[in-house]
Amino acid sequence: MDELMAVLEELRPDVDFETEKGLIKNGILDSFDIISLVSSLDEAFDIEIKPADLIPDNFNSAEAIWALVQRLMED
Amino acid sequence: METTILDFLDRAAALWGGRVVYADNKNTMTFAQLDGFSRSAGAYLQKRGVRPGQPVLVMGERGINTPACYMGVLRAGCFYAPVDASMPAGRLSSILEVIGAKYMIASGEFLEKVSALGFDGEIFAAEDVLSECGPEDYDPRSAAGLPETVPLYVIFTSGSTGKPKGVITSHHSLMCYIDAVQSVLGLGEDDILGNQAPLDYIAAVRDIYLPLFTGAKTVIIPKEEFAMPDRLFGILNESRVTTLCWSTAGLEIAAKLGSFDYEKPSYLRRVIFSGSVISNKYLRIWQENLPGVRFINQYGPTEATASCTYYELTGMVEEDTHIPIGRAYPHYSITLLDKEGRIITADDPGETGEICVGGPALALGYYGDEDRTKASFIQNPQNHCYRELIYRTGDLGRYREDGLLEFCGRMDRQIKHLGHRIELDEIEIAARQVGGVNDCCALYDDKNSLLYLFYEGPASSREIALYFRGSLPAFMVPRRIKQLDSLPRLANGKTDMRSLRESM
Repeated sequence: MDELMAVLEELRPDVDFETEKGLIKNGILDSFDIISLVSSLDEAFDIEIKPADLIPDNFNSAEAIWALVQRLMED
Repeated sequence: METTILDFLDRAAALWGGRVVYADNKNTMTFAQLDGFSRSAGAYLQKRGVRPGQPVLVMGERGINTPACYMGVLRAGCFYAPVDASMPAGRLSSILEVIGAKYMIASGEFLEKVSALGFDGEIFAAEDVLSECGPEDYDPRSAAGLPETVPLYVIFTSGSTGKPKGVITSHHSLMCYIDAVQSVLGLGEDDILGNQAPLDYIAAVRDIYLPLFTGAKTVIIPKEEFAMPDRLFGILNESRVTTLCWSTAGLEIAAKLGSFDYEKPSYLRRVIFSGSVISNKYLRIWQENLPGVRFINQYGPTEATASCTYYELTGMVEEDTHIPIGRAYPHYSITLLDKEGRIITADDPGETGEICVGGPALALGYYGDEDRTKASFIQNPQNHCYRELIYRTGDLGRYREDGLLEFCGRMDRQIKHLGHRIELDEIEIAARQVGGVNDCCALYDDKNSLLYLFYEGPASSREIALYFRGSLPAFMVPRRIKQLDSLPRLANGKTDMRSLRESM
């Protein structure tokens, strides 16, 4: 989780990822953030996030992103 | 002949009154309602003492009320200056300073933000503007008899001195552009546009105004639907969208995120794109998924009202295809000037020169900035007989053997990132405002669409990123901020950009 927080922090230092639960729903992360984030996550955790994983439920909070990353690391 | 956009609005209300002109995810508005709202808003502004001929700022939500507010400003005989509410306060303040407007219309959700800006004019809530007066309260004298050369809007773009430039477009210029793009698109009453561009951005003029000319409808797609691929094309299908006028970045992102893995937009007939050079890889994904759909590339600066050239693709793009920017639209002229100011004609294919644009669609200049206006809008150097203004784009172009134009990059440090125009100098000026940044250099990696800032000094990259988030639009904030002991130098003391590029 710390490594994920570091990735998120580098991407958007202005966002409070500890508390924000509507990153997509509230329009905090835009499409370009998502593209940068996906490539950073793929690289940092040696995973491959596929279009089918790109649904708001997987990206609305840091916990949700972490759950996705863990699931893909197990695959 | 029509003289202002309001003539088109009147005509559209008479022809297509009961049909829908704009829809968002909550509401719809018919042509007759748009006409009514524009008169109500005009009456409201008249009642508040807004005299004709002035700029009125509009900070609108992403919804159908925003274009209605624009039309209301026109009814009052004024012109609108749209601003993006998500802009940081610092950026908004510098826009307010340039425009010096006395009035602003803001959607309810932004009123708090606006009051914190220290805007010293009057602020009207958009909801009140549209509802407090009735259409019958409107006095048509405010906008009667206006010639087509009066300003329609002022749209702001990046300036290399750090001061944003307000490009002023007249009614006439916009009418010429819409006529030109319609001659290529051929929209009818049954067409439906899917809007992607922010409503305050130049690229949205197609979605806002094409319906008034053609009876088509525009559906405003919520911004958050572009961040995830799962629903985007489903929304296009639910709304039976036939036409996309999107930025290249919008097309690229949808393909990159894998929107086609979920659904195909099955009603689409044409896609017209602009903003930057499109990646062939992503355009090909669109072409392969949508056989039979027309794809049209456009080129042009805000100063020439959206786009001045176009090219319709004739086959599938390959990896090494150099898509031309094509030929001039009706109402536009293109002149290529070499370094000595001589004209390069299509008889000299392959010779590179600066692309200059002429014709009635040229902007009226930069708001309140005579110097920069004079430097960019010049007399055609080869015409010694009569007045012929051309706009120097700062872009390089050349003719192909078949007479079509190709874009060959910039003459200066302006770049196109995600469809937005950015002066790298402006990023550097902002970075130098941060205590602890002694020197810096902004560069663009166009292969990966990444903005870099290299700097020397004790400031942390986080401090710089946070400062940027408070002073620059999000698309201008570098995603890579790298601290160096010292910037590499050339013998003359200037920053060695080539060696920095190698470290990107």
